[in-house]
Amino acid sequence: MVRYLTQRFITLIPMLIGISIMVFGAIRLVPGDFITAQLGTEAGMLSDTQRASLEAYYGLDVPPVEQYFSWMGNVLTGNLGMSIRQGRPVVDLIIDRFPATLELAIISVIIALLIGIPMGILSAIYRNSALDIFARLFAMVGLSIPNFLLGTLIIFVLSVYFGILPTSGNYVDLTEDLSLNLQQMIFPALALGTSFASSVMRMTRSSMLEVMSEDYIRTARSKGLHERIVLQRHALKNAMIPVVTLVGIEFGYLLGGAFIVEQIFAIPGIGRLLINAITQRDYALVQGVTLFIAVNFVVINLIVDFAYTLLDPRVTYDGR
Amino acid sequence: MKKLTTLILVLLVVLVAVPFTSAQDNTLILGRAVDATGLDPHTQTAFASLRLLELIYEPLVTTDQDLNLIPVLATDWSFSDDGLTLTFNLREGVTFHDGSAFTAEDVIATFERILDEETASAAATNYASIESMEAPDDLTVVFTLSTPDAPIVSAMASTNAVILSSDVIASEDPALVTVGTGPFMLENWTPDDSTSLTANPDWWGEGPFVDGIEIRIIPDEASILAALRAGTIDFALLNDPLVATLLIGDDSIDLYRTPTLSYNVLQLRAAVEPLDILEVRQAISCAIDRQEVIDTAALGEGVVTGPLTMASFALPTDELFCYEKNLDMARELLATAGMEDGFTLPVIVANAEPPTASSIAQNIQSQLAEIGITVEIESLEFGTYVDRWLGGDFTAAVALNGGRIDPYTMYSRYWQVDARFQETAGYLDDTLDQLMKAGQAETDEAARYEIFAEFQQHLAETSPWIWLYSGYTYTAAQPYVTGWTPNASDALYFLSAVQVDK
Amino acid sequence: MAAENTVTLALRPTWRTLAANFWKERGAVIGGVIIAFFLVVGLLGLIGLTPYPVVEQHAIDRLSAPDSTYLFGTDQFGRDVASRVMKGTANSLQVALLSVAISTLAGTALGSISGYVGGLLDNVIMRLMDIIFAFPGLLLALLIVTILGPGLDNTILAISIVYTPIFARVARGQVISVKEKDYVLAARALGKRDWMILVRHILPNIASVMIVQVTLALSWALITEAGLSFLGLGTQQPEPSLGLMLSSNRALAEIAPWLILYPGGAIMLMVLGFNLLGDGLRDLLDPQGRGR
Repeated sequence: MVRYLTQRFITLIPMLIGISIMVFGAIRLVPGDFITAQLGTEAGMLSDTQRASLEAYYGLDVPPVEQYFSWMGNVLTGNLGMSIRQGRPVVDLIIDRFPATLELAIISVIIALLIGIPMGILSAIYRNSALDIFARLFAMVGLSIPNFLLGTLIIFVLSVYFGILPTSGNYVDLTEDLSLNLQQMIFPALALGTSFASSVMRMTRSSMLEVMSEDYIRTARSKGLHERIVLQRHALKNAMIPVVTLVGIEFGYLLGGAFIVEQIFAIPGIGRLLINAITQRDYALVQGVTLFIAVNFVVINLIVDFAYTLLDPRVTYDGR
Repeated sequence: MKKLTTLILVLLVVLVAVPFTSAQDNTLILGRAVDATGLDPHTQTAFASLRLLELIYEPLVTTDQDLNLIPVLATDWSFSDDGLTLTFNLREGVTFHDGSAFTAEDVIATFERILDEETASAAATNYASIESMEAPDDLTVVFTLSTPDAPIVSAMASTNAVILSSDVIASEDPALVTVGTGPFMLENWTPDDSTSLTANPDWWGEGPFVDGIEIRIIPDEASILAALRAGTIDFALLNDPLVATLLIGDDSIDLYRTPTLSYNVLQLRAAVEPLDILEVRQAISCAIDRQEVIDTAALGEGVVTGPLTMASFALPTDELFCYEKNLDMARELLATAGMEDGFTLPVIVANAEPPTASSIAQNIQSQLAEIGITVEIESLEFGTYVDRWLGGDFTAAVALNGGRIDPYTMYSRYWQVDARFQETAGYLDDTLDQLMKAGQAETDEAARYEIFAEFQQHLAETSPWIWLYSGYTYTAAQPYVTGWTPNASDALYFLSAVQVDK
Repeated sequence: MAAENTVTLALRPTWRTLAANFWKERGAVIGGVIIAFFLVVGLLGLIGLTPYPVVEQHAIDRLSAPDSTYLFGTDQFGRDVASRVMKGTANSLQVALLSVAISTLAGTALGSISGYVGGLLDNVIMRLMDIIFAFPGLLLALLIVTILGPGLDNTILAISIVYTPIFARVARGQVISVKEKDYVLAARALGKRDWMILVRHILPNIASVMIVQVTLALSWALITEAGLSFLGLGTQQPEPSLGLMLSSNRALAEIAPWLILYPGGAIMLMVLGFNLLGDGLRDLLDPQGRGR
């Protein structure tokens, strides 16, 4: 176990270096630069001297290789650089915006679990009943609606039939006003959580079915234990293991992949921060945020792996 | 598990029980889709930035609703008889947000900063004729010009020529320190999220009547509309005609339409075959029903325009070449050029900015198909589009170009010898160059009108570009917002006169 | 895990019995029917057998509601929405099929070489895959398309890159699990060349797992394509695209809901079809996988 852990951490290093190079190179390959993004066609009115002085002002006159190494040097000390557009440290901006994304992801997870787990359990217990068929149908459809489509439909229905809008740029922090904050978060979270709930339901159902057919459950039953106790003590606990994995992976995805929903619901999260940074060609910000998202993703996957090892006695990593 | 469920249920109840609320004070809450890109008024060119900065800073002069020059920090101005000296008398008793007094020294420092190459102001070319400046006293500034330059005063009616404090210029970075003389003071700017401004209690003018302005960035215009209806914002800026039309006939929201000076245009580069043939360009002009472009791309929201968009100079479109769709004439012209079998015309367009550009291209594609011209649309991301556009790296382009209140300032970058955007314009002839030069020097208004009337007719006839239409900008407000006069140069400056009575 | 795989392989059903069992998988049949329907619709759209030419503008009939003339109504240019949904379907399917084909080929090749050869090469290839895998799919696709520029071809390329690691991982895992099997060892002992062993003996044995993966990847690819188009980076106007129809008509949804409901419905049904089919195939081909 310990050996496996260290091994995983060591392989993480070249991977993170690879990610950083990719992140750094990607935004520089995008045509257009910060100055054109700022000035639009007016950039053409600048004389060469004017342009050079702007580039010097924004620190864009340093050769890319040099930029990479100074950036990496800073990253190692926890400094992701300055956003040229906003004139603030990238780290501060991430700290500002991340809570909204995190909250959205957490609420989506809660929705997914609240809907997915009970439905999955009931579906497995009453296999092939009307309830099961309905639940599976729901899950199948839920899984097939892209979140931006569901978001668009939610906004359409809310605004046309109810005349309300979940968020309208007046995003409030949950520390400011919890109820207003939840009102704003619930619909985007629903857009994200529905397909997630569907996968949770399917996973719960299939793993319950698998577990219920295992020998020890049959034994417990034959010992005459009450069905409820069998389910609670034995089946449920073991059936939840793969669900934990699924939730972990989805959670990692939600922290970086929810940007369209953030955009259409005007949630000031890191996804929206990133999209704006790309359009603005704000190199440091794009680098910082993508690196943050990628590292999040990698670390969460790692944690999921460990959690899986810890939870499931059948899996060991010492062999191989 | 059970506890969690209870918690969620409680939260849901709270959620339903508490109605949507909004702030009850006298702050104007303004929604818009795009945020400023920066705070230095002399280098920012994006409309989105200007809309914020014009609340904080003031130029010497500005324009009223009918685009006439009106005094702001200057009270009056005059040219010498030879047109080489321009004198401004300045307003007395104006102070900057930091409390220091506004004087002639600030004006001189400001224009020195704009003209300094280090500043990198894209607008500097508009003031290039300034040779020297002096201040005979604290409230008088005299500009000495190298050449007669009538349009320079109207060029100063711009957020790119607002007056900064000479102290800030000397020792601070105006991109970070916002000290202006305007009706509002910047309190906090969170890019792409929100901006708060407070009223300047010492403002020289009458107002402001609100405590402040809170600007919220709502990235999607459809959501801005919904926010207006939900009553969570008081005032909104809208650009997408598709969204604005939804407010027509909505009694609960006041919609203000203002014609813009900017114009949608199909730019043909006459430097490229077969657009180098006059008849080919003219045929394209004759084949396009400009009203249909407006009807489809902007749901009817716009006016057909010639090269000049300002009412004081614009000729009626029936005095311009081929502003009525005439397919027979178009085919005849193509035949004269030997292109009766048509040809393929590649057109570049920015894919989202503005939202109507791609729609315009699609309608033109459909219309030009009637005379056998196959339009190939190349949609580009905005940054890439700008690169290609500036480099003249295209055959034709659908563009939304900015307008100015003076025709010379509007086109000096395109249609004269050594113009900065000559590559982009792709066409020039002696007549155009001479007309531009005459228009710059002439100070007599009637004579200038004649010069620019000929300029418009010449451009329409040689058809280097096909001018299509001018759209509107929209402001929308709750009925309890009073005193708002929308301005053709898009200025939010006049929010200083607005009252909110919820 | 290894023991279970042996069972799967030992019981590897013939294609004939698979075809017979397919009809018993209700979900797979429904999914197959949906996909077949959209393939036909898409094909009609592709060869131009649409009610109206997709770019033809009927300025007079702008924004008319669905009726007998225009089955799904018209858009702001008076273009027939039904025709555009048909062609949009064709474009979406084309992107999904091509990009999944590319990533399947690339991923299987990389993964099986990696798994078969092992060692340093394995390490290098799989670490590269890990790097790609470290980004949420849509985000990575967005970055790639922003670099390459918007358009159909670049969308295909972007989606291919995004899904290659998944195939590489699956293929590698499978190859490792079969490469020590008797028949492979026997072939090796007989002096057969490595690539022959890979192609003749190993790939056929991992095909069933890959087919399931392909079907599911098709549904993700459809969603990713729609997402990129939604952001304006996929298929470009005037060429119809379901995602773009959805996003560019969002503002008009209030007065012309048909502009978002039909393209939205088409996306959803297609994804549903692939999901159902993929699920069914998994139950059929890979009993050890998750399913019922």
